[in-house]
Amino acid sequence: MRWLQLLTAAVLPLTALAAKKSSGDRFNDFHKASVSSAPLKLDDASFAQLTKAPRNYSVAVLLTALETRFGCQLCREFQPEWDLLGKSWIKGDKNGESRMLFGTLDFVDGKNTFQSFMLQTAPVLFFFHPTTGPHAKRDAQPVRYDFAGPASAEQVHTWVSRQLPGETRKPAIVRPINWMKIISVTTAVLGLVTFIAVAAPYIVPILQNRNLWAAFSLITVLLFTSGHMFNHIRKTPYVAGDGKGGMQYFAGGFSNQFGLESQIVAAMYGVLAFATIFIALKVPRIADPRAQQFAVFLWSVVLLGMYSFLLSVFRMKNGGYPFYLPPF
Amino acid sequence: MATTDDGQFLKKVSGRNTRGLLRVIILCLIAGAAVSSRLFSVIRFESIIHEFDPWFNFRATKYLVQNGFYSFWDWFDDRTWHPLGRVTGGTLYPGLMVTSGIIYHLLRFLALPVDIRNICVLLAPGFSGLTALATYLLTSEMVTSPSAGLLAAAFMGITPGYISRSVAGSYDNEAIAIFLLVFTFYLWIKAVKLGSMFWGALTALFYGYMVSAWGGYVFITNLLPLHAFVLICMGRYSPRLYVSYCSWYALGTLASMQIPFVGFLPIRSSEHMSALGVFGLLQLVGFVEWVRTQLPNKQFQTLLRALVLVVFVVALGALVLLTFSGVIAPWTGRFYSLWDTGYAKIHIPIIASVSEHQPTAWPAFFFDLNMMIWLFPAGVYMCFKTLTDEQVFIVIYAVLASYFAGVMVRLMLTLTPIVCVAAAMAFSQILDTYLDTKTPKADAKTNESPADSAKVAAAAVLPDSLRSTRTPYIGIYSYASKITVIGASAIYLLLFVLHCTWVTSNAYSSPSVVLASRLPDGSQHIIDDYREAYYWLRQNTPENAKIMSWWDYGYQIGGMADRPTLVDNNTWNNTHIATVGKAMSSREEVSYPIMRQHEVDYVLVVFGGLLRYSGDDINKFLWMVRIAEGIWPEEVKERDFFTPRGEYRVDDQATPTMRNSLMYKMSYYNYNSLFPAGQAEDRVRGAKLPAEGPQLSTVEEAFTSENWIIRIYKVKDLDNFGRDHQSAVAFDHGHKKKRASKKKGPRVLRVE
Repeated sequence: MRWLQLLTAAVLPLTALAAKKSSGDRFNDFHKASVSSAPLKLDDASFAQLTKAPRNYSVAVLLTALETRFGCQLCREFQPEWDLLGKSWIKGDKNGESRMLFGTLDFVDGKNTFQSFMLQTAPVLFFFHPTTGPHAKRDAQPVRYDFAGPASAEQVHTWVSRQLPGETRKPAIVRPINWMKIISVTTAVLGLVTFIAVAAPYIVPILQNRNLWAAFSLITVLLFTSGHMFNHIRKTPYVAGDGKGGMQYFAGGFSNQFGLESQIVAAMYGVLAFATIFIALKVPRIADPRAQQFAVFLWSVVLLGMYSFLLSVFRMKNGGYPFYLPPF
Repeated sequence: MATTDDGQFLKKVSGRNTRGLLRVIILCLIAGAAVSSRLFSVIRFESIIHEFDPWFNFRATKYLVQNGFYSFWDWFDDRTWHPLGRVTGGTLYPGLMVTSGIIYHLLRFLALPVDIRNICVLLAPGFSGLTALATYLLTSEMVTSPSAGLLAAAFMGITPGYISRSVAGSYDNEAIAIFLLVFTFYLWIKAVKLGSMFWGALTALFYGYMVSAWGGYVFITNLLPLHAFVLICMGRYSPRLYVSYCSWYALGTLASMQIPFVGFLPIRSSEHMSALGVFGLLQLVGFVEWVRTQLPNKQFQTLLRALVLVVFVVALGALVLLTFSGVIAPWTGRFYSLWDTGYAKIHIPIIASVSEHQPTAWPAFFFDLNMMIWLFPAGVYMCFKTLTDEQVFIVIYAVLASYFAGVMVRLMLTLTPIVCVAAAMAFSQILDTYLDTKTPKADAKTNESPADSAKVAAAAVLPDSLRSTRTPYIGIYSYASKITVIGASAIYLLLFVLHCTWVTSNAYSSPSVVLASRLPDGSQHIIDDYREAYYWLRQNTPENAKIMSWWDYGYQIGGMADRPTLVDNNTWNNTHIATVGKAMSSREEVSYPIMRQHEVDYVLVVFGGLLRYSGDDINKFLWMVRIAEGIWPEEVKERDFFTPRGEYRVDDQATPTMRNSLMYKMSYYNYNSLFPAGQAEDRVRGAKLPAEGPQLSTVEEAFTSENWIIRIYKVKDLDNFGRDHQSAVAFDHGHKKKRASKKKGPRVLRVE
């Protein structure tokens, strides 16, 4: 049997490393290979070799589809995290004490594997427990990780750690220091300070402008009271179709809204508030009696119409609401 | 409002007295309206404590009244969180209970023996009258117009945003806390205006009361420093600010530290650091200002200013360092989730699971505040007209509170007072202007040369200056304008009152312990399943029978059934809650050992399938699963409760995990016996149930209420013959023992 194993190993593309001095221990071969490039880049043959049945080590393999034509956004997002996990693990466990290997199998290299597992989606993360040795599991089936949205290296790390027996050393994830970011942030901060120091004579009057602050406060208040935070937290759609080719501007239901809807409501509040301010503060300061009379009527009508419309929209949201104002 | 257009004869001294008297009468009427509008639930149902948390407060108050203050302070409650217990005296805000205790003893002293329950039920309406008064005082400090305060008081009295938490029976911390909040702000404004140590100390006193009453005191703790900080940044530092702030901070911090639950938090947690920081900054600024008066040297002043900046930055750095080194506790999850809105959903599902912690959609704002929601920005804008120190406060409060109210439905409560104040300012401005009987003389010039209509229209839409107050105030010329505006205002006010009454009557007056429905003939039908079940527990179970239920019902079981519970609404121990969640969401073979280990005697589930009651346990079930998964990710998996197509189903398409979970089985056990064969239907979820109902082996049905809302199961004792329960049940049904079932089954607890 030994020569057969060597023979298969010789066919592998991995032979460059394995054939140098094949110790006969698959784990050592693969571990050696992964020291230089973790996680291992696999194809159908090496995948079969890696996960072959008598196995005294654990394997985690990510089956993915990285090429753009497959349109797997999640695969591409997760790949750097996965590489980071594999690299940090091998770095923290150079001697292979955890008996744990990481591999990546791209769909392009491993169509048969995808077929044999009957996989329709990617990415899929399998964890193969050892079949022999002290921590062997009787169930030979791999464990599958559920990707519920983008996963971070840490999340997968905790999942992998849970699969391993408790006493095994689990190297922590070491994120490389992002020098680029540190430098750019420092530069930006220094630049900002310089800018402020230079531009202070021009900025300070703006900062002290009362109208600006008034506008800022009013916009914030209108934004928040019209449910902007709801859109932000619930990630509501901006607008939806009504199924007949038209647009539905107002979502049905009391605790439901669209992005555009809350903006319309904010605008309505804004118009109403502006009409109130106008009637309360500006009209009494109009010197011309006729102009004043006209202004009063105009803004009263605007106020009434807008409020009536607001009530009608609210009635739409809240079925049993009994009050309304003419004309709407 | 009656006081605004009083005639000439009221201008004298007697006129002032009359106006004062009128104002008192109006305020009393407003308080009366505020109290009576909160009595819907008492009239419709009865004098009963509502919802969930109030039941704990009620129970604690009874304990206080029976055992005295000191034993209440040291109360260790072994009837909740079995078997852990809860150090209740040190983990609650005692202000509410002590307040009702004092009222109780006061009334007894006056020879009026009122039942403590009635005091608890009526405490919130009573305090709402005081809140209206406090709002009047606060608004009167903001503007000169006498009508604004009265309007604000009226708004505050009847606005649904406040009624939602203060109807009769809603005996919760907020009942007194909103009064304390508004009154503390009034005292603070008064202190800043007068620069008086006395008012500062009074602020601290009521701040201390507020700390003892509600966790929301942190809002004051951060808002007052922010106000002071903004004033300093605006260059409005004054000795008045220094005196009022320092006296408030020093005394208020000491007062807040007297509450065991708060303890040393004011100097050790991030929520309180802004108050400390501004206190330090004020000392610095005060010192610099003093030096400035002594030394007129220009360079020296620049140096000093730089010094202030440096010290400020260094102090901030030290603060950050202390936070990272752990001396100062970082923001607690509850507060942190206000800023990082995605935080709670990932890290603390227990907070995210509560419905009042959800973000607010716009209809909720309109529902709670009606027309004030658009008067509010107008009022805030008017504050910018003169922008006195106290009006700066309104602006800050408005912006911050609207943010918080947008993030969490519950915090609408803190937004409501400022909305009332600002809306009243805007509205009273209109009333004052248009109710003025004096008509200005039209300018001769404008009369001579009648401008063409286009010009008139242009002047009406866009006056010469966009700045509203630059041109001098003239007044309203024609009666037609006055009648138009006043008429419209009256209609809006009327509509507001109708809206408030309707909302209060329809949405906020249900005790939720007792449900009401209408029969086909229109008469009211009371659904009293909760109390029926709790009284069954009280009368048919031993006094120390442990009841397991989801945490929502813990306080009610403690209060109404007087039985020990495993978890309750205090939610202090997430693991314990997750244990209950695991027992509910696992198979019987897994749940039974858990229940045995926790000495559970009865399990209570809420099921609304028969009555279309949507707040039942199956709808809350996913939260139980999620919380359990947070602790045992290997054993409970949310994914397993969804069908492969990602649906949450209860019918015959439901996943095996779902159908085998204890919660599912207990909810639907025997349910199909109500229907003709094969027609069982869950009316809440609109699902046809499988023809074969679930079988239970480790628990047995003990009680089901009239409308099946509450179902109680007794946990079986170990089998007499040492069999596991499945085979015992199978034997009872006459099934032959199968030899084939030799394969290793799930683990069963063995208790010798």
